Amino acid sequence: MSGAALERVFREASGRIVGALAARFRNLALAEDVFSEACARALEDWSAKSVPTDPAAWLYQVAARAALDGLRRRRTHARFECQLSADFDTDPADLDDEAVIPDERLRLIFICCHPAVGVDARAALTLRLVCGLSTLEIARAFLVSEATMAQRLTRAKSKIADAGVPFELPAPRFWPERLDAVLATIEIAYGKAHEDAAASGPHAHFAAEMLELTSTLVHLIPDEAEPAAVAAMVRLAEARRPARIDSRGLMVPLSEQDPQRWQRPLIDEAIGYLNRASALRPDAVRVIQAKIHAAWCSRRTLQSPPPWPQVMSLYDSLLTRRDDPIVRLNRLVAVAEVHGIEAALSELESLDGGLLRHFAPYHAVRADLLRRLGRAADARCAYDEALLRTSTHAERKWLTRQRGLVLEPQS
Amino acid sequence: MQYALLIYEDETLYGPGKKGPAIQEIVSRHMAFNRELGAKRVGGSGLAATSSATTIRTTRGKHSVHDGPFAEAKEQLGGFYLIEAKDLDEAIAIAKQVPVLQDGSIEIRPVLGPG
Repeated sequence: MSGAALERVFREASGRIVGALAARFRNLALAEDVFSEACARALEDWSAKSVPTDPAAWLYQVAARAALDGLRRRRTHARFECQLSADFDTDPADLDDEAVIPDERLRLIFICCHPAVGVDARAALTLRLVCGLSTLEIARAFLVSEATMAQRLTRAKSKIADAGVPFELPAPRFWPERLDAVLATIEIAYGKAHEDAAASGPHAHFAAEMLELTSTLVHLIPDEAEPAAVAAMVRLAEARRPARIDSRGLMVPLSEQDPQRWQRPLIDEAIGYLNRASALRPDAVRVIQAKIHAAWCSRRTLQSPPPWPQVMSLYDSLLTRRDDPIVRLNRLVAVAEVHGIEAALSELESLDGGLLRHFAPYHAVRADLLRRLGRAADARCAYDEALLRTSTHAERKWLTRQRGLVLEPQS
Repeated sequence: MQYALLIYEDETLYGPGKKGPAIQEIVSRHMAFNRELGAKRVGGSGLAATSSATTIRTTRGKHSVHDGPFAEAKEQLGGFYLIEAKDLDEAIAIAKQVPVLQDGSIEIRPVLGPG
């Protein structure tokens, strides 16, 4: 087996094995350490001999044995003994014939995404433990050094251990809040992948992990609308990836993307998830958001009119569920097309600029409206503000080109 | 596990020296909450106004005595509970029921275990 194939086995096995170990030993750091140890052993063993028929089961067994050995050594420390004896007594016997790894991924997801863990750390921890990405890969996506990310992950694991984050699945009364934290985490993690429109950067393959993670979540929580809505959203966004950048590396705005370059199979899959979500709770926030993506993806060619009226009315219903400046800003883009640029600009100027000032899209939308109204100087200023806050290459190139389209006022 | 629930509120809501009418209201709500907690309550108390606070500061082994609380802030430590909870989720559920007059924060801190 090649190095890359091994990497893939390790990555795919990570969520299930670390989840099962964490549930069993109630210790995230230990679970992660012994899994790494098992992977290192596998690299030696499998190249010397052959790859076992069930590599994941092999990894789980080796990791679990390493954990038990470690704990037995520590058992001499009396303090640990009383806490751990219960774990030893319950299942050491079935260790050797452990053929099936219990699926504890949902537990692991809930632990990593506990609201008591900082929001960025949650996303990083989920990518590390559930998706099996390396610390280096995650560090690159979050634009921090590997050492900083390692520290952040360690801190998150200590918080979970020290604060007493439960290793049981949350009781039903905690679900709404807890599930929201999980979904927000997935959105942040996918956001990291989505930022990289060209899919050439280090976060590119996150996207695949997010497709996998969301389908797992829907499989594990079939009766909730929002996991299915997030699964749909991730797919709809991902389907558009091939059309998001033009041949010169410029970002292509949604309404100018060629729908024929979108990935139909992903869209079809997404619609399946969306229908399911919509049947469960048609007016949930994330369901409406997914419908907005779906409205766009229902466009078949560049010649057919963009679905602006539909998009605007979906934003209207989203506003009744969640009224925040970002939703209002997104809605304005549709308002400009439906009710005209003047109307959109006057609404935009009435938004709370204090909150939006730090948000690049606010300046980009404003610049676009000003440019189209012929207010050259104001438009240029707004483009500069947007450029100041935009880091991705394709977007910068696009903004720069748009800025160049500003016409000099006739004098 | 045992957790401390530290209650932060703007104490001016309770009048000068925390002796205004609102204090009666919050005290009776805390008493009701105490009864509800039952054996899960290990300890706790309300605290007098920060105007009564004295802080002993130690710098390089030297003590100095100061008037006032450790830190000036918009919300001050006004009381605490020590509770027994199965895990953080239970502690969070209990903390959400701690009465506060208007806005406020409850900080949940696991207590250090013995040794």
